[in-house]
Amino acid sequence: MSTRSEGPLGLDDDALAACVACGLCLPHCPTYRVTGLEFASPRGRIAAMREVEAGSMPIDDSFERAMTECVQCRACEAACPSSVPFGHMMEDTRAALTEQEHGTSASRPRRALEWVGYRLVLPHHIVLLGATWLLLAAQKLHLVPKRLALPALSPRSLARRLDVERGGQPHAWLFTGCVMDAWLRDTHRSTARVMRATGATIARPGAGGDCCGALHVHAGRREEARTLARRIIASMPGDAPVVVNSAGCGAAMKEYGVLLDTPDARAFSARVRDFSEWVVERGVPATSRSATPIVVQDPCHLRHVQRSHLAVRTALGESFALVELDDDGLCCGAGGAYAATQPELATAIRDRKVDAIRNAVGQPDPVVASANPGCMLHLRAAGLDVRHPADLLAEVLDG
Amino acid sequence: MCFPDSAETIAAAVRVARRHGRPFVARGSGTGLAGGAVPVDDPVVIVTTRCNRVLDVDPVQRVAWVEPGVLNLDLSRTIRHLGLHYAPDPSSQAACSIGGNVATNAGGPHCLAYGVTAMHVLAVEVVLPDGSVTTLGGLEPDAPGYDLRGCFVGSEGTMGIATRIAVRLTPNPPEVATLLLDFTSVDDAAATVSGTIASGALPAALEMMDAKITRAVEDFVGAGYPRDAEAVLLVEVDGLADGVAEQVAAVSEIGKANGARHVRVAADDAERALLWKGRKSAFGAIARIAPDYYLHDAVVPRSKLLDVLRRVYAIADEHALTMMNVFHAGDGNLHPLIAYDRRQPGVWEHVYEAGTEILRTCIDAGGVLSGEHGVGLEKRDLMPLLFSPDDLDAQARLRDAFDPDGAANPEKVLPRGSRCGELTAERASIGDKSCPLSTHALWWCRSVGEHIGKLAVGRPRSATGSWKCARPRA
Repeated sequence: MSTRSEGPLGLDDDALAACVACGLCLPHCPTYRVTGLEFASPRGRIAAMREVEAGSMPIDDSFERAMTECVQCRACEAACPSSVPFGHMMEDTRAALTEQEHGTSASRPRRALEWVGYRLVLPHHIVLLGATWLLLAAQKLHLVPKRLALPALSPRSLARRLDVERGGQPHAWLFTGCVMDAWLRDTHRSTARVMRATGATIARPGAGGDCCGALHVHAGRREEARTLARRIIASMPGDAPVVVNSAGCGAAMKEYGVLLDTPDARAFSARVRDFSEWVVERGVPATSRSATPIVVQDPCHLRHVQRSHLAVRTALGESFALVELDDDGLCCGAGGAYAATQPELATAIRDRKVDAIRNAVGQPDPVVASANPGCMLHLRAAGLDVRHPADLLAEVLDG
Repeated sequence: MCFPDSAETIAAAVRVARRHGRPFVARGSGTGLAGGAVPVDDPVVIVTTRCNRVLDVDPVQRVAWVEPGVLNLDLSRTIRHLGLHYAPDPSSQAACSIGGNVATNAGGPHCLAYGVTAMHVLAVEVVLPDGSVTTLGGLEPDAPGYDLRGCFVGSEGTMGIATRIAVRLTPNPPEVATLLLDFTSVDDAAATVSGTIASGALPAALEMMDAKITRAVEDFVGAGYPRDAEAVLLVEVDGLADGVAEQVAAVSEIGKANGARHVRVAADDAERALLWKGRKSAFGAIARIAPDYYLHDAVVPRSKLLDVLRRVYAIADEHALTMMNVFHAGDGNLHPLIAYDRRQPGVWEHVYEAGTEILRTCIDAGGVLSGEHGVGLEKRDLMPLLFSPDDLDAQARLRDAFDPDGAANPEKVLPRGSRCGELTAERASIGDKSCPLSTHALWWCRSVGEHIGKLAVGRPRSATGSWKCARPRA
């Protein structure tokens, strides 16, 4: 039975002890890859956690920095032969840092901004949509600096409702989420087309089924995440599979069982499917063959957390010539809100990914498939043509 | 601590350290298993992780110049499209750096057929401990003069730091086959190893894992390693297609004759990669059994493999410790691994004692202290188990020729008292200027040597009779 340590972070003792420091995680860590710093690596971060828990190191700015610089891609977890649960240790650590409000240098404006983001905008879909319209207006007036790398929003897409009913008793739920629905609603339209092409009836979640809380978990705002998770579970009753086309959301929802630790949550988690995973289970609908080669970029939370990244290949393989990357699924640096909170590191990490993509296909403007809104937006900001597998499939659907 | 990003800045870091009278130690990925990069004596730590460029690849001459921080597997990846790879493949190859490989003269499963790091390093540009930069060895087949490159490879940072390395690139074999043989006893597996080598076959790799480690590894990779086997052998043969087929048949036959239950040949590259991923994750998977481990790295003559293995398990039983073996069976390079939990009181003493007994067993069987991990800090004080004072003195004088001030990675590899010459300093420090060196040296060598001998093994080494220093040096 695992026990919680009595240190200031309250981490799981056995998890802390389980790292044998072999270093096999290092090449898979995006921040280690671009900095070469031990404390920017999983092994170094665990060593720092151990020191803090043992009381031999204070929680200071450098510790907080080492923890907040982690993208939480969890590639180290997949690479770890001893399966050290690094993702959960990092979430526990961030939760402790957030809850205890250590007198570190996190500034008041930053905290205020976080409050607006996590408490006001993300959980209230209407506010998010309103903010998106404002953003769109600002974009039209050229008030949004390019370096923020925000997506080009389409008023046409935003003005039209998604043609999927809320609630009911569908064959499968289409989880629409918060940012996806505001910024990438066309991808939901593609997802709905493909799902219906398999003969399934679909519905969107009922009231409250918007924000899954993934970003909250990453930021250590676990109580808020729990509240959101309960809302999500209540919004999609029954036994029908919950289809998620955002890898980050899907990964978080598959971990509701751990987050809430209730039978209901575990049962819900077992129903969650990534879009491609569900399409492959259900049977890929008939498509025509396209000549476009597609570079497959695996979102970390699809590959390292859900570990269902192979389904994308099965779903797209019949219709497209797929090109694999030779980088062991190294993170692109998007990491949920990471691209916004750590722009320098996120850009350095992305540069590696962009090189890997261009080298793999041997041409400057390849089409890239990526099943996560964060990666899509982050890589698009580097000038790549990135599309969701659902968009790609919808284009080649027969009839 | 500093993070240079080029050959020039590494050299500058060494010069700055020396100007301030500080020793220095290089650190790569920190995957070493003998503590070679552990800072002792408050040195400047020169981290090479940012020197990670492959500078030049010549596919015709099959040579690449790389910076020391390039990861071993990254190098092979970079040249894969040329049909080439870098042959030495330590288990940590995904994470370890070429610079670290050069420092320890690293081995790996495929070194059985292809040779260890020293055979794949043609030249090294090094910054010497005085801050000057020079190139040892060369790209020509037989570089003139003494083979100082050979000295440097495996010197564990005690002769300077490699700043650029010219490595030999190996063509990918036209055909590869990987076999997994499983046995109901370690004895049968060991007999298969001896049988294979005795038959004249030279597999590219010949690896053994025992029951516990096989199960831990299988929990991680799910490669289909048999959970009920007492031992498995992972054998790889490569070469031209016909020869490979023949070797597969030969190894299978020898295995079956020695009681192999199944012989599985990997069907494709993916299956082969998964099997190797299992083998190469073995050490990292130990925490599935216990959170700490003490790993040894001794080499014994292959003819003694079985006897030594039995004794190794017996030693662990006597100390009630969990013992696992995963090793390069083909070249007799044992990796007895003791898994334990440091939170358990008193366990470390047993682990250490058992470890020393194991090493003594290996050396008594005609083996050596280290196969590929190096000596570093961990085995430094065990050096007198294997080397006579003459041997140690010769090594110390070679080291001094590179680093007369002892600034490069101090306190590593050679135990204190290795040099008879150290006496001059010791004597000066105790204010004794009159004592004739010859008698004093003898006394010092004897007492220091005995002291180390006792520390290490509890008794002086008897094979050489005494600790007498034959050639005291003024």
